[in-house]
Amino acid sequence: MRHLLAAMRRLLHLGVAICLVGWLAWRYGSVISLFGAVTPAIPNPEDGKVANGIYSNDYFGLSYPLPKGWAEGLAGPEPSHFGYYALRTLIPHEERDANILIAAQDMFFAEKPLSSAVEAAGDFRRAMYEIEGMTIDREPLELRIADHTVERVDFSGVGLYRSMFVTEARCHLVSFNLTTRDPERLASLTLSVNGLSFANGKGAPSSASACVKNYAVPENLLRKVEPAITGSNFVPIPVRITIGIDGNVKHIHVIRATAEQRKSIEHALAQWQFRPYETQGRAVEIETGIVFQQKQMGM
Amino acid sequence: MIKIKFAHACSFAGVASVMLASVSLSGSALAQNAPTGTNNTLAPRGPVDPGVRGGAAGAGGPLPGLSAPELAFFNAAKGIFTEVETVPNGLGPRFNLDSCSGCHAQPATGGTSPVTNPEVAVATAQGAKNVLPSFITANGPVREVRFVRNPDGTPDGGVHDLFVITGRSDAPGCNIQQPNFEAELARNNVIFRIPTPTFGLGLVESVSDSGLQAALAANAQQKQSLGVSGRFNHSGNDGTITRFGWKAQNKSLLVFSGEAYNVEMGVTNDNFPNERETNPSCQYNETPESTTPLTPPTKSSGSPAADYAQDIVLFTGFMRLLAPPTPASSATAATSSNATVASATANIASVLPSAAGSSLSGAPVTPAAWTGSTARGQQVFANIGCQACHVPSLTTAKSAVAALNKVTFQPLSDFALHDMGIGLADGISQGNANGREFRTAPLWGVGQRIFFLHDGRTKDLGVAIQQHASQGSEANQVIQNYNLLSIDDKQALVNYLRSL
Repeated sequence: MRHLLAAMRRLLHLGVAICLVGWLAWRYGSVISLFGAVTPAIPNPEDGKVANGIYSNDYFGLSYPLPKGWAEGLAGPEPSHFGYYALRTLIPHEERDANILIAAQDMFFAEKPLSSAVEAAGDFRRAMYEIEGMTIDREPLELRIADHTVERVDFSGVGLYRSMFVTEARCHLVSFNLTTRDPERLASLTLSVNGLSFANGKGAPSSASACVKNYAVPENLLRKVEPAITGSNFVPIPVRITIGIDGNVKHIHVIRATAEQRKSIEHALAQWQFRPYETQGRAVEIETGIVFQQKQMGM
Repeated sequence: MIKIKFAHACSFAGVASVMLASVSLSGSALAQNAPTGTNNTLAPRGPVDPGVRGGAAGAGGPLPGLSAPELAFFNAAKGIFTEVETVPNGLGPRFNLDSCSGCHAQPATGGTSPVTNPEVAVATAQGAKNVLPSFITANGPVREVRFVRNPDGTPDGGVHDLFVITGRSDAPGCNIQQPNFEAELARNNVIFRIPTPTFGLGLVESVSDSGLQAALAANAQQKQSLGVSGRFNHSGNDGTITRFGWKAQNKSLLVFSGEAYNVEMGVTNDNFPNERETNPSCQYNETPESTTPLTPPTKSSGSPAADYAQDIVLFTGFMRLLAPPTPASSATAATSSNATVASATANIASVLPSAAGSSLSGAPVTPAAWTGSTARGQQVFANIGCQACHVPSLTTAKSAVAALNKVTFQPLSDFALHDMGIGLADGISQGNANGREFRTAPLWGVGQRIFFLHDGRTKDLGVAIQQHASQGSEANQVIQNYNLLSIDDKQALVNYLRSL
């Protein structure tokens, strides 16, 4: 009887401990392996936040101190089916004379892929130039901010003065879009972009994997389980995965899908096994992209 | 090594998060399902909407360059489009109106909700005893009603017709009742849709999928700088892009015609051959009630093809051959190597009684002057980012109809779905469109429309613009840009829109 009570007590303590860890995990967003080792949650692009006057995004490893007196504006839409993120809108607390949009486009999934920040700035400049009444005030210019390459274009029209800064991070085009009512305001606002910092100066946290396009192809796949995708016919479902050095899928980010589709894809992808990606004869961890799309028609 | 989110595995945390999520979802659902009556939310310093552009209707005629048989078909089809249905020829048992042209009337046949709502009169026509729901008023928009949920809480989304034929002299013995709209309103379970204009839809139908995809993909970095993405709705039958209706849920004008004939008027047809209301006391006709005539009518319409066509084919033909609306500026009219839609103005003048004066002179119909303010407004429209979704120009593919063949036209829409946030959300899914997504409303002809947004919640373009912004909307950045404009430039934008 005494042994039974002791065993029950141990079980109770274990239960409390598990729930405490669970609460911590829920509160702080950690993940745990099946073997019990708690590791920090792997962030996704949309997980950035504004706190203490700083926009920080652990996925991109960037932080941006907001101009003084600024706060978050209206939230944008969910990530798109083509890997676009309206990460954050920022507005001044008081006089609404300017705004900032921070956005990102996953370069794996864009409808019209742009291969670099330079190409993105060029595409943007062309589009602006073609708009009647728009003036290009500063041709695309390469800057170094926090030891990082950033393309900048300034333009104006109908009383609005704007700057677009775009850079590459983890195979995404990350842009800062500044709009003001007057050029002086824009000049002061653009200085805030100098406060941008990157975790390791390369647009990604030091823990980030290399990004490799089109790695999830048959010649690299050793084991594949097809997800049972239902609903939303003909809609692309973009997914980023992290493949470990052992070829297992370490992290799955279903960018946009229904809850049912997300569950099915996560369940299937967790069972995929890849040939490890090697560079210079050494296996390395990588991120790659996959698009699932249900195409049911006819009989 | 498979990793799982432990938070989902632990009961305490799991229950807590589920509870939090439930509370959050409930709040969201309530916001989405709130009844969408007149909304007077105004910008801090809004422009003044000058109202419906005066002068002759800038729409309603056939495409320019139609052959004689095509024009004869168009004219015959227009006659059927304006025909008033009765129970013996298919109306009911449930319906919203008794003719196509009753709803599609402003500023001319084929358009949208007119100044006087015909639903008020039809409620009691021919002895019917229908009670007008509170949201149907004489000077309000024509509305159809959808319920968001079924009584058991599962998604509904379907149209619930306003009226029944009970009591009509041509429906003896029918005794079905109207839905209890006031109870559904009290449950926040009612959303509205107003009629979409049909001008120029043959051009829209004739754009290839690749043409639409190219327009959506164009200027990618510009769209990214504005928070705009978008995607298309697709047909479950063949996978191609669907493009008609508020959520781009209808594949073709024929599908649209057949669906509307059955849903809005209760007339079964070859596309939708079964009655939606099956109460046996209200079945008077063989179904489908409108089908292909195998013998010509005793009196020819002037178009042999039309004489052998069923109604939905004629509706389709009418809409397909309708010219696009003519803006105040001839500078933005469509152009083509084979046909020039700009010259539609002359044809409009020839078929519209209200434009008779213009037709005599042969001069184009330009219902309002193009002013410096409207020109500035066009620049504002493009500069602040409206045209990221309201795409200025598309080009049709090859078409057997010369007037639709490789024509460049200005619908001011990409015909894609965009997330419009919780402020416009109606909670209704159609095809791949979810409860917050809507097709970019084509803005051609907006200058002569009375009611705006999917539910007709406002007559004021300034309010309609502001309503594009809310939590989760793709238009938020563009509306923030709009809010930074001077009052003169906001006014210029509204003036430009009223010139369309």
